Amino acid sequence: MKYEVYTEIEVTEDFGIFDFISTGKNGEVQKRVAFTKTEQDKVYNLALGDVDEDNEINDYAVTDNGDRNKVIATVAAIVEAYTKRFPDRWIIFRGSTVERTRLYRIAVSLHLDELSDQYEIKAYVDDEVVSFVKDMKINAFLIKRKKS
Amino acid sequence: MKQAIKHKSELTGSEITFTVSEKLNKLKGKVLAPKKLADANKLLRKLKTPLPK
Repeated sequence: MKYEVYTEIEVTEDFGIFDFISTGKNGEVQKRVAFTKTEQDKVYNLALGDVDEDNEINDYAVTDNGDRNKVIATVAAIVEAYTKRFPDRWIIFRGSTVERTRLYRIAVSLHLDELSDQYEIKAYVDDEVVSFVKDMKINAFLIKRKKS
Repeated sequence: MKQAIKHKSELTGSEITFTVSEKLNKLKGKVLAPKKLADANKLLRKLKTPLPK
């Protein structure tokens, strides 16, 4: 996955919130990735969105800044760094819309072989967790760093 | 001086600099994207089988 990424990222000291600036045809847009503890032990929710005027994540924003692949690759790199620090945590993520979940599914499917070297990749389907296979229709992804 | 953490991404081949931000630190403990979190919790509650350890 040799995509360009945003290389300057701000972070909280607990490695839970990451901010970077998307630069594209609509100018500069502040993006935020946050990992939040869920009700299940060692499962953290990943949220991605634009930072709005109230300093909140707007995960329904349509930025259309022409840098979609760069943003997704940057998020992949953030997940990589996060799971290196917290290898025992599961990350659950899904798009805020059906179309975005589909986009994530396509991105993971395209790079499934190299991603599978690093992660256990599971899919949430019909209230079950199963191993993800290419182009499987899913409700959400659950990933965890493989034990080295 | 700001704390910076270098990360060499195996997936993308890039080196990324994570800089600890005092401004972001103020958000620690705040629930971000609460609707997304609620959706995730809803899915996890319905899970019929536990996640592998």
